[in-house]
Amino acid sequence: MELSESVLKGLQALGDPVNFDMNKFTTLSELAFRGLLSSESEAVLDHPDLKQIDPIVLKHCHIALTTFILESVKQNADKSTVSSCLEDVRFDTERADALCTLYQVKYGYLKLIFQLCSLKQNKTDLENLLSSIDKCPPHITDVSWRLEYCMKNAHVHKVNQPSYLISFSVENGDNGRSSEEELNFSCTMEQLQDLVGKMKDAAKSIEKAMQL
Amino acid sequence: MEEVDKILIHSLRQTGTDIGEDVESVKQFSSELIVEAVVRCLRVIDPALGNGLSPSLPPGMSARFRLGMSLAQACQDLGYKGEIGYQTFLYSNEPEIRSLLMFLVEKLPRESAETSDQPAGKSVLLQKAIAAQIKAQLALPWLPPSCRLPLHYKTQTPGPSYSFHAQPLSVPYSLKGSSKKQPKEVREYYRDYLLPVTAQPSQPISVPASLLENHASELSAAQEWENEWNSQGLLTRLTPEEYRSRKRARLQKRIEEQLRSTAQPRPDSHSATRSTSDLAEFLNSFGGTSAGGNVLTKGTRFTHTEKFTFTQEPEKAAQQMAAAANSLPSSHQSEEDLKAQQQEEISGLQQQLQQLSVQIEEVGGEMRQLTVSISQVSDELKQREVRNTEKEDSVRVKKQTIDLLPDAENNLVKLQSLVESSAKRVVHLASQWEKHRGPLIDEHRRLKELCSNKEMESSRMLSEIKDLHDKIRQSADEAKKKEGLYKQLITEYETLPKDVSRSAYTMRILEIVGNIKKQKEEITKILSDTKELQKEINGLTGKLDRTFAVTDELVFKDAKKDESVRKSYKYLAALHENCTQLIQTIEDTGTIMREIRDLEEQIETEYGKKTVSNLEKILEDYKAIRQENSALAAKIREG
Repeated sequence: MELSESVLKGLQALGDPVNFDMNKFTTLSELAFRGLLSSESEAVLDHPDLKQIDPIVLKHCHIALTTFILESVKQNADKSTVSSCLEDVRFDTERADALCTLYQVKYGYLKLIFQLCSLKQNKTDLENLLSSIDKCPPHITDVSWRLEYCMKNAHVHKVNQPSYLISFSVENGDNGRSSEEELNFSCTMEQLQDLVGKMKDAAKSIEKAMQL
Repeated sequence: MEEVDKILIHSLRQTGTDIGEDVESVKQFSSELIVEAVVRCLRVIDPALGNGLSPSLPPGMSARFRLGMSLAQACQDLGYKGEIGYQTFLYSNEPEIRSLLMFLVEKLPRESAETSDQPAGKSVLLQKAIAAQIKAQLALPWLPPSCRLPLHYKTQTPGPSYSFHAQPLSVPYSLKGSSKKQPKEVREYYRDYLLPVTAQPSQPISVPASLLENHASELSAAQEWENEWNSQGLLTRLTPEEYRSRKRARLQKRIEEQLRSTAQPRPDSHSATRSTSDLAEFLNSFGGTSAGGNVLTKGTRFTHTEKFTFTQEPEKAAQQMAAAANSLPSSHQSEEDLKAQQQEEISGLQQQLQQLSVQIEEVGGEMRQLTVSISQVSDELKQREVRNTEKEDSVRVKKQTIDLLPDAENNLVKLQSLVESSAKRVVHLASQWEKHRGPLIDEHRRLKELCSNKEMESSRMLSEIKDLHDKIRQSADEAKKKEGLYKQLITEYETLPKDVSRSAYTMRILEIVGNIKKQKEEITKILSDTKELQKEINGLTGKLDRTFAVTDELVFKDAKKDESVRKSYKYLAALHENCTQLIQTIEDTGTIMREIRDLEEQIETEYGKKTVSNLEKILEDYKAIRQENSALAAKIREG
């Protein structure tokens, strides 16, 4: 997992026990998750626990943490990847600080890892959030058809050609609401055969993709 | 043979042959199965060769025959040495099929060994993950919306979806440079007014998109900088900050030049003069502040001056309007008069305004002209002053010479001596200068050499540094790749069926080898036994011959004298003859027994060839071919 320098710096600041003790750390990480998942996020950083921290550092840490969470969900990172990534970050702090503070830092990261990985609910919610950023073509859920037989028209006396009136009912999920619509069209026999052939092709290519 | 058959069937299944669970040995292979197995193997070994052959046995007899012939040909092309023909496939017998299949399985490429060496790229992994997802989704049956369980909701309901819409975010750190350089106002903004990032985008749904986009752009900027620094920056031998500032200055210069070239006032366009003068002003401020500070503050300064110049005129106009309103006569007049008066006043005021603005512009132009002329005049003044001092100097010299004229001779002598002494002094100074110059030049040369040496060394070090950088990057890449490979292999290993077949096979092989060793020992024992027996037999026969010869001689000698002895001699000869006959018979029985065993073995192998069933099959096929032929003939006749 690649992280940019600013995110790394933010995480380092987050791991610094001078800025964040355990309570503040948990509060901030909870706030970060909540800020991503809930829609009203105006007062994200107004928590009384976080009042004493320098707002600049706090905002930086918040950005870094949120970005880190999003990236790790995007990459579908497992527990080991996340923890190795965090250990890489902690390296500087480890050198700078005394041994006793290291324990706290480590504990904090363990807590974060716990939140990231063990609380499946958070992860699936975030996955849903990310997968909702998408263009989704309508799903065909049902089909009904009628046969139409054209005997003659205004110009030709004898036509005698069949055609099909087809109506797809589709499920549409664009722009945040799911709705059902009807899609009507008429086609000749060759066109219908073409459509069926293309659908079969599509099904086949999906099966082929499955067998990779 | 069971072991061999199991291995064969296992590897044939891997090539894609559909062998039923109940088939356990080659004996149970039907003709169809044999043809399919052989064709699949051929396809894996040599796709060009195998793709022309169909894996299923055609119904027509003649087509079957042709398929058998082409299969036999293909196997011979691959280098199969044994006897092979269409009969191998259509009228199979077990040992032939087994040897053919063993040959083909040995020819199968060992792909697993090759593929595991190369780490799969990210795209391959992604494709695999996608394939797994598709498999999982296809495994679920489709349900109408009303019957869906939460399990189906994720994949079968389209769900709410939004387009990827990223917005620029304001972040409380600068990407370049350290945070110490931030001006106080910016810090204040960060501290007190900046919203947290999750509250910045207008819609909550674009928060993740914006954050991801922001992060990706930061990453790519860092990467680009790294690339540039490694390719160009290192060679300039500057620190990164110096390189950055130099690059910025270069860019600024270029922009300035471009702007200047476009800002040249054109005489033909009057309307453009205003904007070009603005541009010139902007350029001046640009050049003035380029020594320090960044572009943003410059921009604001520019906008400030702009605002100032534009707001001045309306203010003035408003003041004048107020003054005019105060001076209005407060007499009572009819409304129309009032209106007409107001109109007049307005037009008058507008005219005045226009006049005033024209005047202002004129005055401005004059002022500009005047400033230009002032600068010209001051230049001239400076030149004149310079010329003045020069003239003063020459006047002073001339005055001194005029003062010296009356006492010319003395002064001449004095002057000559002065000249001589100064010449001497010059020579002396020159020699002294030479004395000093020599070592200085030497030192200069030495220092130059040192300098060039150092430069060379530094360039060498630079190249070394570059090499090291490359190496570091390479090894980092390699380590990453290896780590990825390791992870991939571990996951692959975990997904692999926990088959013990390999160890079981090796165990079996070891057992078989042990058995063979035992058998070999026994065989050598038996061989040595037979040899000993042979030796004994030979010794016994020799002994018998010798004793017989001695006895024969003794008895024969005595037989001439005695009648009873002659009788015994006859008995002896008869006994000897009978014994040899007996031995002969025993030997004959042995050979016959051996022959019988051979024949029995032959019979068994013949039984193994399924001759009877094959003959029946051949008969049937023969009948089928005759029927086909007659049908064809009938068709020809009809046609």
